[in-house]
Amino acid sequence: MSQAVRAEMVASVHSIIAAVGDRVVPGEPIMILESMKMEIPVCADAPGTITEISVQPGDVVREGDLLVLLA
Amino acid sequence: MSQSPSVDIDPRSPRARLAALFDDGAFTPITPEDDRGVLSAVGQVHGARVVAFATDPTVQGGAMGSQGCRAIVTAYDRAFADHCPVVGIWHSGGARLREGVASLDGVGRVFAAMTRASGKVPQISVVVGPAAGGAAYGPALTDVVIMSDAGRIFVTGPEVVRSVTGEDVNMDILGGAEPHGRRSGVVHITTDSEAQALGQARDLAVLLAHQGSLDIDAVADRDLGAYLPESARRAYDVHPLVEGFLDDGTFIELHARWAPNIVVGLGRLGGRTTGVVANNPMRLGGCLDSASAEKAARFVRMCDAFAIPLIVLVDVPGYLPGLGQEWEGVVRRGAKLLHAFAECVVPRVTVVTRKAYGGAYVAMNSSSLGATRVFAWPDAEVAVMGSVAAIRILHRRRLAEVPEDARAQVELELAAEHEVISGGIKRAVEIGVVDEVVDPTVTRTTVARILLDTPGVRGVHGNIPL
Repeated sequence: MSQAVRAEMVASVHSIIAAVGDRVVPGEPIMILESMKMEIPVCADAPGTITEISVQPGDVVREGDLLVLLA
Repeated sequence: MSQSPSVDIDPRSPRARLAALFDDGAFTPITPEDDRGVLSAVGQVHGARVVAFATDPTVQGGAMGSQGCRAIVTAYDRAFADHCPVVGIWHSGGARLREGVASLDGVGRVFAAMTRASGKVPQISVVVGPAAGGAAYGPALTDVVIMSDAGRIFVTGPEVVRSVTGEDVNMDILGGAEPHGRRSGVVHITTDSEAQALGQARDLAVLLAHQGSLDIDAVADRDLGAYLPESARRAYDVHPLVEGFLDDGTFIELHARWAPNIVVGLGRLGGRTTGVVANNPMRLGGCLDSASAEKAARFVRMCDAFAIPLIVLVDVPGYLPGLGQEWEGVVRRGAKLLHAFAECVVPRVTVVTRKAYGGAYVAMNSSSLGATRVFAWPDAEVAVMGSVAAIRILHRRRLAEVPEDARAQVELELAAEHEVISGGIKRAVEIGVVDEVVDPTVTRTTVARILLDTPGVRGVHGNIPL
């Protein structure tokens, strides 16, 4: 079952840390969002392998936007 | 005292569940054991006196009739008289239909007893099966609601929902751990099993009943600064800092998944029960918003009512902006936190670890709201907003004239200038909004000493489920 990681708030994408194909565990940052002058790591809720990264650095995301898919 | 039940007793029966709650399975019933659907008892939990009741799902699905409701009121009367916590174990379909309006009257009397006891004796609910209708509002009126994996809380069941709204839902989606642990805020703690739920109730009951006194010699300093990342802009999870501040292994978080941008919970410091409120930068950057303000407000009022001192760890960039927040009532719900702190009379110490900006600065137990003491770590900022954001407003025209490639540099220079003028943390100390700059390596003992030296009083008010 795929797991979607979505933006929690309006933010800009600061940097992408992981890549498609990487296996990540909860608490491991996949990317960094920037909002309210804060750099906020985005992590998976459950372990998985990244199958898609839907954004690039500089993109503006809104609350609920898809960031990453994991399988 | 009656002893542990024999092995062939129904595990859902009040007798079995009360035995699992009390020390050594021992308790003394204070109401008759018959078909009234509720059994109330007194006993010990971790050595502390506790009154408890359990609904009986083996009789009419645990439905509450007038006699059963009277048994709950008896439990409350006893808890009131003995001045001890009351734990309710819920597995009930609600009011007994066959008793008609008499059962509704009984349920209403339970609600009235709970409200009379509110803020006077600690009330803990453990929901271990469906708790519907009146049985949903019973737990909801209490201070802490714990739900096991089998717990479900809803006003109207799936069939009624389907017939009225057409929504095809099951009990889990309506009122399980996901909706109540994460969305509604009804449940404070969700667990994977009934045994864990009762275990959490036991740990909380003793934290509330035997608060202990602060032993300053038992509080050693630790470098709490080590829990922060190197970059001041980088978000981090505040849980290790909270756990590091309190005595090892004592922290019990409430509402962990609901409004996770603020962390609230109980633990011990130097052996004394202490509440913690902390912004969590890892979620929403640590911003306050309508839900987190409401969550913290309710927690602060509970601690105030039960004479539990508070530690407030502040790292907040502001209130979360947006249409959604305004329409959700961030003004009304944010006001609850201001009200809660301003009326709070228990010792309450603030530590600004990195930053406190704007309205969120005020709300997080500021000096102006009557904090016992406000400390700041050496690199902390206390301001209306961050210096770059401030100069972008103050020098809007001047910045507009600067070529784009040079703007970042000019902004940095103006921000540095602004910090000198507005004074940073030094100025905050001068005007008295921060009492003292304290090093992270001595914060633990410094705060503990303040809590020790401040007379313990309690707020005289109920704990309405905000």
